[in-house]
Amino acid sequence: MSFFQVNIQCNGCLACIQNCPAGALQYIDKDNQRILQHNITRCARCGHCWRICPQDAIEFQHLLQSDWDTFANLELVHCRECNEPIYSLPFSEKVNQTLVEKIEPLCPNHKKSYAVSRWKHLIDNNPRQEPNKP
Amino acid sequence: MIVASQKPIQELADAIAGFKQVVCIACDSCVTVCLSGGKRETEMVALELTHEQYYEQNPPNLTSCTIQRQCEQDLVKQFTDFPPNMDAILSFGCGAGTQTLASLFPDIPVIPALNTTFLGAIDEPGVWREKCHGCGDCILLYTGGICPVARCSKSLLNGPCGGSSEGKCEVSEDIECAWQLILDRLTALDRLDYYEKSFPLKNWSSDRFGGPRTLRRDLPLE
Repeated sequence: MSFFQVNIQCNGCLACIQNCPAGALQYIDKDNQRILQHNITRCARCGHCWRICPQDAIEFQHLLQSDWDTFANLELVHCRECNEPIYSLPFSEKVNQTLVEKIEPLCPNHKKSYAVSRWKHLIDNNPRQEPNKP
Repeated sequence: MIVASQKPIQELADAIAGFKQVVCIACDSCVTVCLSGGKRETEMVALELTHEQYYEQNPPNLTSCTIQRQCEQDLVKQFTDFPPNMDAILSFGCGAGTQTLASLFPDIPVIPALNTTFLGAIDEPGVWREKCHGCGDCILLYTGGICPVARCSKSLLNGPCGGSSEGKCEVSEDIECAWQLILDRLTALDRLDYYEKSFPLKNWSSDRFGGPRTLRRDLPLE
């Protein structure tokens, strides 16, 4: 769906195009048709077109609020304990390439308990030596 | 929004006289919205500056291009459409944009085409008025959303003064008395208690008087 939308009152007078300070609007007269075009990357959303339009044809709200566009769709890694999604698979692979030991797929909560259990395991297997008393 | 106005055309012609290849760089942000330095205005000025009447010798060759935000180094660096033989840049950005270009092109003169004027808002089509002074210590809560620092000619914190008459400032008929506006607004909000309390001396160290200001934010991934 286009960000720049006009209602049926647009009569192609070109007031919007002449008053756009960003060069974001243009028209093409081809064969029997007048084609009006908008370029969202040039648009400064200043609203001059909307204010100037003698026909009240410009539906400016579409330039200010619109739906979300999906720009990527990536496989997820889940916490192995609670199945909560934590990060994407390509991110995990990229990080693992830089580490000696692979990261455990754990959410922040279970990562904490994992760290404690690792410490507990180390302490249990290596009981602390009492310091020599003088 | 930053509001700027174009310098007189002869001043621009004098500044670029003697150069061979000048690039006029528009900015697609604030100065586009206030109809001073966007693509359309820049192309119009560039065309006007090709007229021989402004020069004693041959006019320079002028081209124009647009950058989304001249005040962001990364965006300017991404833009690669500069002609290779340019020997001067005419910047249609605000003062911040012009200085960003100057920092990125240390060997090329960067000439401002605009007078950067104030932080303002559009009150009606084609009319921008100063609204904010950028003092760094906002008091709008106590003044009904109307800034006396920017909109009172004397920046009075305990106004109005004796120059206020029928809602107008003595400086000009075109200037509304900010303190009259504040009183009207606080009355409508039933918050005249804010008005009855005197403002203490303002700490101006957060304004320009404390030297150039810097904002630092920790970026999440750094």
